[in-house]
Amino acid sequence: MPRKIKTTIVALSTPRGVGAISIIRLSGPKSLELAQKLTRNTKTFSPNTVQYARVWIAERFLDEIMLTYFRAPHSYTGEDVIEISCHGSLYIVELIIDLCVKFGAVPAKPGEFTQRAFLNGKIDLLRAESIADLIASKTQSAHRESSRQLLGDGAECFQRLKKKIIQLISTLELELDFSDQEITFAPHEQIETEIHSLINDIYVLMKTYSYGKIVRTGLFTPIVGPPNSGKSSLFNALLHEERVIVSPIPGTTRDTIEESIQKDGYQFRLVDTAGLHNTDETIESAGISRSLKTIQLADLLLFVIDARACLAEFQEIIPAKISNMIIIINKSDITDPFTISKLQNELSRYKTIIVSAKERVGIRELTTLMVDYVKAQQPSEEDFILTQKRHYIALKKMCKFLKNAKASSKRLITSEMIVIDLRLALSCLDELLGKTTNDDILNNIFQNFCIGK
Amino acid sequence: MKQTDFDIVVVGGGHAGIEASLASSRLGLKTLLITFSIDSIGRMSCNPAIGGLAKGHLVTEIDALGGEMAKAIDATGIQFRILNRSKGRSVWSPRAQADKIKYSLYMQTLLRSQNNLFILEDCVTSIFVDNSTLVGVFSKIYGAISCKKVILTCGTFLNGLLHIGLDHFSGGRIGEKSALGLTESLIREGLIIGRLKTGTPPRIYKDSINFSNTTAQYGDDNPFPFSFLTNNFLPPNVPCFITKTNPQTHDILCNGLDRSPLYTGIIKGVGPRYCPSIEDKIFRFRDRTSHQIFLEPEWTSADEYYINGFSTSLPLDVQEKAIHSIPGLEKAEIARPGYAVEYDFFPSYQLNSCLETKKIRGLYLAGQINGTSGYEEAASLGLFAGINASLSLKNEPPLVLRRDESYIGVLVDDLITKSPVEPYRMFTSSAEYRLLLRFDNSDVRLSSKGLQIGLTPKTVYDNSIQKKRLLAESIQYLKTHSLSPDQTNQILSIVHQSTISGGVTLFKLLCRPEVHFQNIECFLPPELSKRVGFFRDFGDQIEIESKYEGYIKRNQLLVDSFKSHEGIRIPQDFNYQNISSLTIEAREKLTKFKPETLGQASRISGVSPSDVTSLLILLRK
Repeated sequence: MPRKIKTTIVALSTPRGVGAISIIRLSGPKSLELAQKLTRNTKTFSPNTVQYARVWIAERFLDEIMLTYFRAPHSYTGEDVIEISCHGSLYIVELIIDLCVKFGAVPAKPGEFTQRAFLNGKIDLLRAESIADLIASKTQSAHRESSRQLLGDGAECFQRLKKKIIQLISTLELELDFSDQEITFAPHEQIETEIHSLINDIYVLMKTYSYGKIVRTGLFTPIVGPPNSGKSSLFNALLHEERVIVSPIPGTTRDTIEESIQKDGYQFRLVDTAGLHNTDETIESAGISRSLKTIQLADLLLFVIDARACLAEFQEIIPAKISNMIIIINKSDITDPFTISKLQNELSRYKTIIVSAKERVGIRELTTLMVDYVKAQQPSEEDFILTQKRHYIALKKMCKFLKNAKASSKRLITSEMIVIDLRLALSCLDELLGKTTNDDILNNIFQNFCIGK
Repeated sequence: MKQTDFDIVVVGGGHAGIEASLASSRLGLKTLLITFSIDSIGRMSCNPAIGGLAKGHLVTEIDALGGEMAKAIDATGIQFRILNRSKGRSVWSPRAQADKIKYSLYMQTLLRSQNNLFILEDCVTSIFVDNSTLVGVFSKIYGAISCKKVILTCGTFLNGLLHIGLDHFSGGRIGEKSALGLTESLIREGLIIGRLKTGTPPRIYKDSINFSNTTAQYGDDNPFPFSFLTNNFLPPNVPCFITKTNPQTHDILCNGLDRSPLYTGIIKGVGPRYCPSIEDKIFRFRDRTSHQIFLEPEWTSADEYYINGFSTSLPLDVQEKAIHSIPGLEKAEIARPGYAVEYDFFPSYQLNSCLETKKIRGLYLAGQINGTSGYEEAASLGLFAGINASLSLKNEPPLVLRRDESYIGVLVDDLITKSPVEPYRMFTSSAEYRLLLRFDNSDVRLSSKGLQIGLTPKTVYDNSIQKKRLLAESIQYLKTHSLSPDQTNQILSIVHQSTISGGVTLFKLLCRPEVHFQNIECFLPPELSKRVGFFRDFGDQIEIESKYEGYIKRNQLLVDSFKSHEGIRIPQDFNYQNISSLTIEAREKLTKFKPETLGQASRISGVSPSDVTSLLILLRK
């Protein structure tokens, strides 16, 4: 879909990879507003001066940045431009871009900043032409045999998705354009099932993206639990057990303490958090609410309890989502085995491990369990792993439309309405694979169905 | 050359030629229609029906623009049905069985009495071109005739070749000779030709059919006319009859394939995939043991029936034997055999958005000569070419119909940007803005353009304005008026839905799938309700525009995706060959199609989004 010029685009402007700093650039009418949202700043930034600010993600402090505001038309693109210099960590860059997208920016296409510069009369034709070449050389391949280069192995799996959607649209269009002929049409339930299976396919793909991210930036692994269950001791024990790597996040003010460890090539970003319990006290509950937010963001959650506790004491605060949680039964050194095994039985539906953080017993087993968890997340060898944010976002958009379509089908809305969302879903793929024409759909119909009077 | 004062010469008196010559003569231009035979004007060469899926939309659009087809079929139709009734209203489409004889006579009478329109029985064999501009035509008997514009609507007649079995003979239609010479004259002027094929089924005598072995199919009890001008509509309701083929039929046909012009490679032209011959169907879909067959009367008390679904070019003895294996047709006698026809067409990339050839100014092509099929497509193109040739002579801006406002717009745009290689047929799936392009709102969409051109009657336009206002007013009322909880629940209980606490706006209520306009109508002010009642089914129209508001908005997204580049014009002498940022394929295609706008460019296959971006950059200097 061609993009309207009024969108605000965002992209990393320095090479990908770890460096001292990275620069993220925003261009478009919403740039300033986005910068304010990122930094929770209510006052406007003054143009052409470098300013210090902090970026927050949810309740969590993310990074300190230097921010420059170029006011339109006095910028590279001729639009409002914000340049953010953050610390050169892939993780931070990715989160900041994520945030921008969440606030309404769209990831820039190759060459798009320059394209805008031209369209706004900032650079001359000669330069623009050479840039057009560049744009072409980067994206043309997407629509031709070399699409594999751009998309990697993804091309094939995107093509598969595309084929499935075209098949689905054809089935519905057949019903609309050839209903005067004797053809049996697919029942609504079947359409619904097929859309559902498409959504699942996309979910699987999208999940590989989060795995890819985990591999690149490490697993965000908060340590949570009731007060005095030994979270900090466990934190220290883990740091002692495994190789600590220098945190990519500069250690300044923060609410939570974070360090990274590495085991078997996997990186875990451990975070020590405030204790979880029910309280009325305001200051304490602020810390707890931060911990709850942390839990939501967790890739892997270490939930620590005191082995002497009984289930009732912490049952209420065990997070609902348990697939990515390990319950650590701590203080085995000062608890009798009978109590421990009773507790472990009660927790049989969870993944549990018994340790003594203080005596450093069971810590190695814990790290092995953590690595096993990552490995279990790993897509099988032949699966394609999504690495590009642009692809991820396209899939996410597709999912949204497919869900609309599924809902319509469920409500027995007629096919011409369902098709609208399916065609929109298809147009998301078109950005990656090149356009789909009505002919593609008709061809499919004529190939597969006997029609014609 | 005889110097005449003819403004426009239309060659061919089929459905395209009729609309073209009527449009130009009605717009005050002196028009000459040249046809082989006045008696064959408006003849239906194939099935005796007008309309159908997506085609019905075209017919109501023709009406909104001041064309004739809708009025003619309303006056001469013998059975009317709305197709796709189980689907949403946007894909409903009217279809009618026609009385072929009456339809053709209606058109002949109309054309004969039309001011500014002259009819000549002759055969045009060449055109005269001077300095890339058309200056006249040469007809066999009458000789050279000067004129300002020519619209060619030759249907299947250009070098037409009819096939029955391995026999083939020259002809444009069974019993009618083909047009020779004209193609060659166009080729000499630099146009490129192609060859297409189409076919028609045998006709059989009524008194040889055993109708008791078939199922009768009638039209709607409460028929819907095509034209916005038709009132007091009480057409006849003559039935069609349904039967089907069986494995025995298929065996007979299969055994005849060695004498099929299609399967022995005699026919070179490409046929329409959506209208395959019966031998094609059984060959390509061997697992099907039966195909439906419709017996359609050719006129009111017809003694001939058209076998819809049985188009064939197999030898006569095979046709006969196969027909006899079908229930109800055991003793059927063939009145006229089925046959295939091959004919010349001019690939439509050679046309601009007015249907004028890019090579020769003043030469317009419309109908099957453009590679389309169907009476409705032909009539649409004829009307469009007729209007634009006239507007050009009057120095007025051309008629442009966008893809998002009409099926005719989609048809023309598809022709010039896709240049079909098989006969093109209109489908609803080709229209991006399908949800709003309904057959019942063609007047709202198009009559203001038709009025401005000078073809659409003022009453049609006035009604369309009223409808537009009424729709906006009604929706506004629904959105701003709420019902009490009691009233709400009363309605919900009528439609068997669980009750809710608290009142909602009428609009929200109407958005529920189970609630229909009839359920809430009594809560409108009597004055509003009365006006809604003035237009047929108008309540339903209000209902869909409310109920599917969200879908319509998302539909707009799809429309936006092509609309954004529509206004950016590309100079006709633009040189694509030296632009290194375009792929070789894009350069070739763009040079061939010479798109007028970036929007058109983006729809040409082989032109990728990045090519469009490069062009955009170059065009914005």
